[in-house]
Amino acid sequence: MEKYLDVLPTFVDRIRKVREIIISNIVLIGQISAPTFYERRRAEFLVERLADFQVDECSIDDFGNPIGVIRGSSPEKRSIFVVAHLDTFSEERTDQHYEVTDKIISGVSVSDNSAAVGVLASMPEIFRRLKLVFESDIVLVAPNHTLARGNMRGIRRLLQKWPDPIRGAICLESVELGRLNYYSDSMIRGEITCNIVSETHADRYHRPNAILIINEVINEILRLGLPQKPRTQIVIGKITGGLNHGKIAYEAKIGFEIRSDANEMVKKLYGDIRDIVDETNKTFAVELKLNRISNLNATRLPYNHPLVKCGARILNRLGVKAVSEPSETALSIFLQRKIPAITLGLTRGNNYHQDGAIIEIEPLFKGIAQIPALIMAIDNGVCDA
Amino acid sequence: MGCVMHKNWIESNTFHHSEFKDLDRLVNAKQRKNISISLCLPTLNEEKTIAKEIVIMRSELMTRYPLLDEIVVIDSGSTDKTRKIARAYGVTVVEANDILPHLEKYKGKGENLWKALFVTRGDIIIYIDADIKNIHHRFAYGLLGPLLLSDNIRFTKAFYDRPISVGKNKWRPTGGGRVTELVTRPLFSMFMPDLTQFLQPLSGEYAGYRSLFEKVPFYIGYGVETGMLIDIYEKWGIDVMAQVDLDRRVHKNQDTKALGRMAFVIIKTFLQRVQKLNRIDVKQDIFDEMIQYHLVRDKLQPEIHVLDQHERPPMIDIPEYQEKFSSIERK
Repeated sequence: MEKYLDVLPTFVDRIRKVREIIISNIVLIGQISAPTFYERRRAEFLVERLADFQVDECSIDDFGNPIGVIRGSSPEKRSIFVVAHLDTFSEERTDQHYEVTDKIISGVSVSDNSAAVGVLASMPEIFRRLKLVFESDIVLVAPNHTLARGNMRGIRRLLQKWPDPIRGAICLESVELGRLNYYSDSMIRGEITCNIVSETHADRYHRPNAILIINEVINEILRLGLPQKPRTQIVIGKITGGLNHGKIAYEAKIGFEIRSDANEMVKKLYGDIRDIVDETNKTFAVELKLNRISNLNATRLPYNHPLVKCGARILNRLGVKAVSEPSETALSIFLQRKIPAITLGLTRGNNYHQDGAIIEIEPLFKGIAQIPALIMAIDNGVCDA
Repeated sequence: MGCVMHKNWIESNTFHHSEFKDLDRLVNAKQRKNISISLCLPTLNEEKTIAKEIVIMRSELMTRYPLLDEIVVIDSGSTDKTRKIARAYGVTVVEANDILPHLEKYKGKGENLWKALFVTRGDIIIYIDADIKNIHHRFAYGLLGPLLLSDNIRFTKAFYDRPISVGKNKWRPTGGGRVTELVTRPLFSMFMPDLTQFLQPLSGEYAGYRSLFEKVPFYIGYGVETGMLIDIYEKWGIDVMAQVDLDRRVHKNQDTKALGRMAFVIIKTFLQRVQKLNRIDVKQDIFDEMIQYHLVRDKLQPEIHVLDQHERPPMIDIPEYQEKFSSIERK
């Protein structure tokens, strides 16, 4: 196992030598808009790009996931997945322009998750430059329909239909270098929408205000008791509503996420929120709706799983401090299917989900070096025990 | 009076970049012709766009496909980080004033393009503006395609469906080319109808053989494209020229007054050229000042811009150039 640790420093230098290819891939892919459910053009470009880099089999599957398979030397070995989700939080459907300097790349969604998709596209060339050949097939996938309402549909469907056993998976996130995720919390994401019948002359000053109703709901949610064990959290992360300053709002919406390391706790709290919504509906006689938009079960690799230890050793050898937190990414879908997987961060960045999102170029080379090293480890059987 | 025009040219010598996307084919053609290719990026305060241009061109047309032999940035004295950033990506960066330093110094894109002939080594030189937001390597291989795959095309010029950037992430899909439609095309129609077939004669991206560029003079400012087109046409005819559709080019919009000054220089360039060709006789001096007006406290005040046109002679007439390139066989 030490073999790949010994070559890691040379990996970093050799990967830096193809920085133009890596940056080009990040820019050319990242500039194509890909909000969830509108990823087709980015998927087509990625597949074309993989084919251009002589990946053995390139296709878009029936669910719209772009896939490239680098055939391994041993046909009976199971495949290793490298995954970076294709869709972005930005709902912008027109193409964006990235800026590059000697130190950073900036542009919409570069840190979530365009840089990782660009790195995924660069992997065939990086393997070639590092003169790496694997026994396992390497499956490069950028699953679509991942975020929010997408609910990881792309990767769920892909894995349901994937014909062969899978040895292990590495999930890539653009930021932050050092993240080493091997467990995911149970999670339910939901939306609560309040609609008031639109105004008429008669009742314009006496209508309930959708924003205030939603405010009542928020107050009730905040009153829910959250235990410290199992570790549990409710995040109210989105709010929209109203038309303008002087009009009573007839529509308002919040988006929330319940997270816990216990599935039962998440289910219980979701039930509590449903009760709050029902009660508020009755009290104010408004149209208040609760919708579940995505959910995941808690799942994990043991902290002493060889893949986790291996990931930690690699980071240590690279001089990067490992940070482990729960991750609600494709990781949880692999782990639910009993496929060993971890999520890695590739570089450092800023303003992740804002207009001024940036990533740093130099740390990227260490971030990328983790990938071939981990694949070498998985190819040598680290997940097979 | 009707005009006589070389009518087949627009069909035979107009291409789309996608015809040349098989880069292996271009590399083979380059090897067969045994030539080298230089990409020149003229810059003045382009820190926001220069790195992306270099990175994509290096990645796609040097590292992955050996089509370009060098990328050279010729800078007009940027005060931002343009030169530092360009150097960080390993390309040659030269300040225009440091090239042939004993000559009188001028500042302008044409000066950079002309001096690039002295600094670059390629048999083919591609000129691409450094402010293109949606840069893609098609801008280079599209222009190279006809030069490499044809035996008689020596000069290619880009044209675009070019949206104008009107704000952050906002694009106006039509527009641009106002100076072309209001100035250049009418003048070409009157005197050189063949050249009206260039859909965007003022586009800033073009490529050609050194053996051709070194024999034409270069205007320093806005007139460089007009002058070059007329000179190549007059010297070698329209059949050595081609135009290539590069799809979209996103660039900054210029206000009407700036376009007015551009039009002034282009008209002046044109008049000087047709006068030199004895096609027109202007019986007075043409002035160098463009007079525009603006309102200051309800009063119209003139704003005078001196737009004198300097012209560099054909590079082949420069002794240092003759010495430097004397041993090189012209392709």
